[in-house]
Amino acid sequence: MKKIIYSLFLLSIISSCEVIEGPYMTGNGGGVDTNSNQYVKNILIEDFTGHLCQNCPDAARELEAIHDLYGSQIIGLALHVGSTFARPYPLSQPKFTYDFRTKWGEELDGFFNISDAGLPKGMINRIDYPGDHRKNKGQWLASVQQELDKEVVFGLNINSSFDGNNSIIDISTDALKDISGDYKLVVCLTENEITNWQKDGVIEDENYIHNHVLRSLITSAWGDDVSLSTNISNGENYTHNYSVNLADLENFNIDYSNNTLFQGNGESGGWNQNNISILAYIYDNSNYEILQVEYASLATN
Amino acid sequence: MKNISLGFILFFLSINIFAQNNGEIHGDFDLNMQSYIEDATINAVAADEVIRNNSFLNIIFTKNNFSAGLRYESYLNALLDYDDDFKGNGIPYRFATYSIEGLEVTAGNFYEQFGSGLIFRSYEEKGLGIDNAMDGIRLKYKLLKGISLKTFIGKSRTYFTYANGIFRGIDGEIDLNETLKLQSKTRYIFGGSFISRYQQRNNPVFELPQNVGLYAGRLNIINGGWNYYGEYAYKINDPVNSIQEDAVNYASGNAFTSSLTFSKRGFGITGEIHRADNMLLLSDRDRIGKAYIMNYIPTLSKPHAYTLLALYPCATQAMGELGVQLDIFYKIKKGSLLGGKYGTKLNLNFSRINGLKGGTSILNDNVNFTPEILSFNEELYYSDINLEVNKKVNKRIRYNFVIANQTYNKDFLEGKTPGEYGVINSTIGVLDLSYKIKKGHTLRMEVQTLIAKQLETASKKEEGDWVMALAEYTISPNWFFTIQDMYNYGNDDESKRLHYININFGFLKGANRFSIGYGKKREGIFCVGGVCKLVPSSNGLNLNITSSF
Repeated sequence: MKKIIYSLFLLSIISSCEVIEGPYMTGNGGGVDTNSNQYVKNILIEDFTGHLCQNCPDAARELEAIHDLYGSQIIGLALHVGSTFARPYPLSQPKFTYDFRTKWGEELDGFFNISDAGLPKGMINRIDYPGDHRKNKGQWLASVQQELDKEVVFGLNINSSFDGNNSIIDISTDALKDISGDYKLVVCLTENEITNWQKDGVIEDENYIHNHVLRSLITSAWGDDVSLSTNISNGENYTHNYSVNLADLENFNIDYSNNTLFQGNGESGGWNQNNISILAYIYDNSNYEILQVEYASLATN
Repeated sequence: MKNISLGFILFFLSINIFAQNNGEIHGDFDLNMQSYIEDATINAVAADEVIRNNSFLNIIFTKNNFSAGLRYESYLNALLDYDDDFKGNGIPYRFATYSIEGLEVTAGNFYEQFGSGLIFRSYEEKGLGIDNAMDGIRLKYKLLKGISLKTFIGKSRTYFTYANGIFRGIDGEIDLNETLKLQSKTRYIFGGSFISRYQQRNNPVFELPQNVGLYAGRLNIINGGWNYYGEYAYKINDPVNSIQEDAVNYASGNAFTSSLTFSKRGFGITGEIHRADNMLLLSDRDRIGKAYIMNYIPTLSKPHAYTLLALYPCATQAMGELGVQLDIFYKIKKGSLLGGKYGTKLNLNFSRINGLKGGTSILNDNVNFTPEILSFNEELYYSDINLEVNKKVNKRIRYNFVIANQTYNKDFLEGKTPGEYGVINSTIGVLDLSYKIKKGHTLRMEVQTLIAKQLETASKKEEGDWVMALAEYTISPNWFFTIQDMYNYGNDDESKRLHYININFGFLKGANRFSIGYGKKREGIFCVGGVCKLVPSSNGLNLNITSSF
């Protein structure tokens, strides 16, 4: 009897093996939300990175691939953080002198304890905090799929005007269900298409294109209250207005790099206002989970 | 997990009460506490907690053919050279096992290794902060004389939780001489093993295998002083879960190891070769990091214990390497000119490890690449040639002398950009001298030197030359005192020509051992058996207590 049980056990184990034969690419995804609501669930991928991090461009490419698959529901944010991979070389050096770091990136990195665990790491809507919130790029896709299945709680609209230097930004929030809790709105500026040095595997790429790089936060890192009341009813709308001066924000980063950041060199300027975007998200202050995120160009919105 | 642990404790207590007269309880305890203060000269950071502590207590109850045990672990918070996911307290290890009529049943946690570990190794190594214990069911059965089988099903531990993959494994071994009652002088032992990992996958673009299988066969032939061991392992496609075409690799993996040893009294020689290609097994294909590695490619270089010999250690590359090793041991007879009164032991060791031609195997819709099997003229990863002389001169004096030349591809082994540090060649000498002053009083001294040069022009300077000295005074059986200094006198950057001084003293009595130390540790790479971790620099006090009952 024992031998029979043993043989059955053996047989069942050996049959568990799947060799896949090409073509390996079998689908094109097509998971874009097609529900009839005005709002869809958008997902923020916070990509913690650094220009000296050889494996980081792979993570950035994974983010792009996920974006290509699911479209505008996927919003990326690249945070260059930490003193190991994001510190700039001294200005006397010919390369890697740019300081992509920001005050807020460092603050978020410290709070979520990301770069200490090694880069690249990402957070997908900051789910699974604390513990498993720092995700390797291999985990991003599954987490995105999980998030896409969640219901939409808030809708966000970004409106802005820009005169070449000053901008008025209006963020309008629609509650899509009755909920209670402490919800915060964070608004930041990102920049696309920054051409600068990046280590990419064994290559040092002078012409690497850095996208959706965090430039500045208009709110604090922990945001403003979405509503003054903890009870929010379906259909309610809240508006937040911000006014910013791009040159002031740029100078702040230069000063911060010069005076505060580890081995900072002040090389944080050169912003291209045409490539600046506004990124706004709402998170649940009880577990930091991001419930909605929206994205719009600053200059052409 | 907490409820299960509580259940086990109650279970324990009850069996203890019922079996007080004929069961036995044993255990061991370990405490490692370290303080961290800031030291900008060596980039050491202070810990917010000031002190950090790792501790564990093992308890094992045994009665006849039954045993059960648990391990309580505490990381408050984990020492800085540990992954910070080791956090808090818990009982991550508990098991019960019994054996009857050739069948051994284990429920709960267990460690397991098939063959030399090429397809599966579940183990713990406290020094590296690795513990990938299984949690599940394991059966071992002696089918016939000389034939043994083991199977298991379980999940593997990562920190205080379990990884996603479910492992199923089976291993069989047959000792032909025993089974067939052969009278031959040559012994043949065959083994075969199979592992399968299940992980659910839902990739919208690529078809991924949910069940990844690995198998291995091994052979051991023993005849007198001769011993041959060979093992071949294969892994089916195990692509990562990505939607980037370049990142998804459907190539299979394989590895082999083969060694031949001849030994007789006073002489031994071993020749060994191994190769691995795309042979990394993870407990969760979406993750990276040593906590998730579930197989083991045995190291091919000599494990060195002396500090400067281990300054540039060799990390095994499961994704692709080819290496050879030759190890010769010879004892010069006592009474001869070189042997002296007590004889002299010599050990010559050579190892060389290089990459695979063109790199790791790749298979996807656009690329189908498999490297040549044997190509020894590829990028050098590591080589080491060393001679060790061990001699007892007289009743008071004995020494161990080592001279070595090592070549270390820092850019590759430490993941730097090619051209950053290049390849480091170092010549190392070690003299370890023991002098017995009187009964119970021994003075041991080490002098080590390392002369390093960068073999190619590189954009950054490596640390350069080192010298180290150590003095240890032992009053057996209770006391020891140690002082050591490592001095980076040859650093190109004068501000980094630093002394790393450490002092240590300890007290041992019976089953208890206490030691206290203070000093600076250099940032470096620490390896056990080719598996490595980065140790951050630190400055502070440490306390270590071990005890057993």
